[in-house]
Amino acid sequence: MLLEIENLSKVYGKSCGQCIALTGDDMGTAICPVCGAVVAVNRINLRVEDNEVLGIVGESGSGKSTLLQLIYRDTKTTEGKMFFREMQGEDGEPVDIAGLNMMETVLMRNTMMAMIYQNPRLGLNFLFSGGGNIAEKVIAAGQRNYEDIRKSACYFFEKTDLPVSRIDQSPETFSGGQQQRIQIAKALAASPRLLLLDEPTTGLDVSVQAQILDMIRVLQKELSFSMIVVSHDLGVIRHLTDITVVMRNGSIVEQGLTDQVLEDPQHVYTQLLVSSVL
Amino acid sequence: MVEISFAFFDEDAKKEIRRAILKGIALPGYIVPFASREMPLARGWGTGGLQISLSIITEADTIKVIDQGCDASVNAVNIREFIVATTDVRATSTTGEASIIQTRHRVPETALTEEQVLVFQVPTPDVLTVVEPDTDKQKKMHAHLEYSKLWVLLYEDTASFGDSRIASRYPVEVNDHFIMDPSPIPRYDIPRLNDNPALMLFGAGREKRIYAIPPYTKVKPIVFDDRSFQMEDFTGKSCMRCGAENVFFDTLKKDGEVQYYCSDSDFCDQTLESRKSHAS
Ligand SMILES: Nc1ncnc2c1ncn2[C@@H]1O[C@H](COP(=O)(O)OP(=O)(O)O)[C@@H](O)[C@H]1O
Ligand SMILES: [Mg+2]
Ligand SMILES: [Zn+2]
Repeated sequence: MLLEIENLSKVYGKSCGQCIALTGDDMGTAICPVCGAVVAVNRINLRVEDNEVLGIVGESGSGKSTLLQLIYRDTKTTEGKMFFREMQGEDGEPVDIAGLNMMETVLMRNTMMAMIYQNPRLGLNFLFSGGGNIAEKVIAAGQRNYEDIRKSACYFFEKTDLPVSRIDQSPETFSGGQQQRIQIAKALAASPRLLLLDEPTTGLDVSVQAQILDMIRVLQKELSFSMIVVSHDLGVIRHLTDITVVMRNGSIVEQGLTDQVLEDPQHVYTQLLVSSVL
Repeated sequence: MVEISFAFFDEDAKKEIRRAILKGIALPGYIVPFASREMPLARGWGTGGLQISLSIITEADTIKVIDQGCDASVNAVNIREFIVATTDVRATSTTGEASIIQTRHRVPETALTEEQVLVFQVPTPDVLTVVEPDTDKQKKMHAHLEYSKLWVLLYEDTASFGDSRIASRYPVEVNDHFIMDPSPIPRYDIPRLNDNPALMLFGAGREKRIYAIPPYTKVKPIVFDDRSFQMEDFTGKSCMRCGAENVFFDTLKKDGEVQYYCSDSDFCDQTLESRKSHAS
């Protein structure tokens, strides 16, 4: 097992102490009736195996992005544990990454886990060139030989079908689809065991979306890493994932093999989701 | 009549600055905040260095002040006169005679000794400012030696120009630990920071920051493993005035021709002097 999440919760705003118990899908709300705090993620349990691709679907505000941000340590955990096999303590056992300090978080992001954001401005440094963004990961992993860094940058540019002739240009000069490719190239440079993708193709032309999704699938198979893909687009989920998790009000309402969940949804909410798209 | 303290500051003010200096010496290259004082001097350049000089100076000291190598520039003269007026210490332009040398943008050509302190005037104390404007984040990055972004700049310059474009303020790693801004000295002076017998202190008045390189500390410019540090190349050039070679030159365009002069005016005078005495 690569990642094991136990009872993970995230409360935005000052909690009255009862927020988590009084919210969630069984309560029909993510907003605490006592203090009004938002419980974006509510006592979630989840496992990700090696080379597995997990999809997360659910309406806007159901907590999908927050869940990824908790795993990537973009935001602090309120309660719960996340054991990530690649981060091990002195005893060789996986540590709870919810408790990582800044240096450990940087190490994890530079060498084991990567995130692709819907908005490339969150994932890329626009002050650096496309190649510079990739170089940053290679450098952070300890490489100090210029030619080797350059080779890596070019390698990942090619790997993501980007024009190497433009490697020294700012991400600004690339199209939206290419900016997502640069994000992916940068992520791959961290040689991740786990790749998190938050709506990676939302907002792009349908044909561009299809190309990028195909590329992600090929790279995932070739380089063998696990992925968690958040999307409100069931087409994306169907295209990429093995397992589908359905979220509402910060809770998981249904999960299973993607084919089964999409063909034969058990939960009424999932049935609604599937029928509104199909 | 109000009595003016020796070296302008009262003892409490000097102690506070000296504490910052001591902390800086204990943590080579670490940036220490201090309560910068108002100085009766044109704002901006020089007040950081001046506050250091005034807080460490004693009656037994001899002061030298240079601006880009020159003792006679208006800035240097103003600062030197202020120090002399408030301390009555001896002033000199001869590098070898000074115990405290306050400088803007140069390291003297004459090798320094353990008896000397070199005080740099610093405009931008934090080397990370170019890649991270947020000072809180800069602090964290230093704490975690998180310097990848500086190396990315070096990577990008090398990719586009074959080398770093940084002409002055070349980032240096101090004591195998922090990366530091050496103040806007030319690349030519960077190797002089390494293993230098003199204590080197850096002061930024506007930014209220002090940092230090203790004597005999390892200082090296950041360079890729497969590249070497490039300096200004003055091969075959000599000073129009004194004939010196292998020093840092100021250049002057005259009748379409480039002329070279020692940037260090004291060194130029010394060389000229010894030429004359040899000739006679
Ligand atoms: N930084 C934040 N501060 C306060 N509330 C937030 C923040 N980010 C998200 N939320 C709230 O948390 C809930 C879940 O949001 P999010 O995780 O973005 O959902 P999704 O990605 O499924 O649309 C929403 O109610 C949202 O308004
Ligand atoms: Mg979202
Ligand atoms: Zn000369």
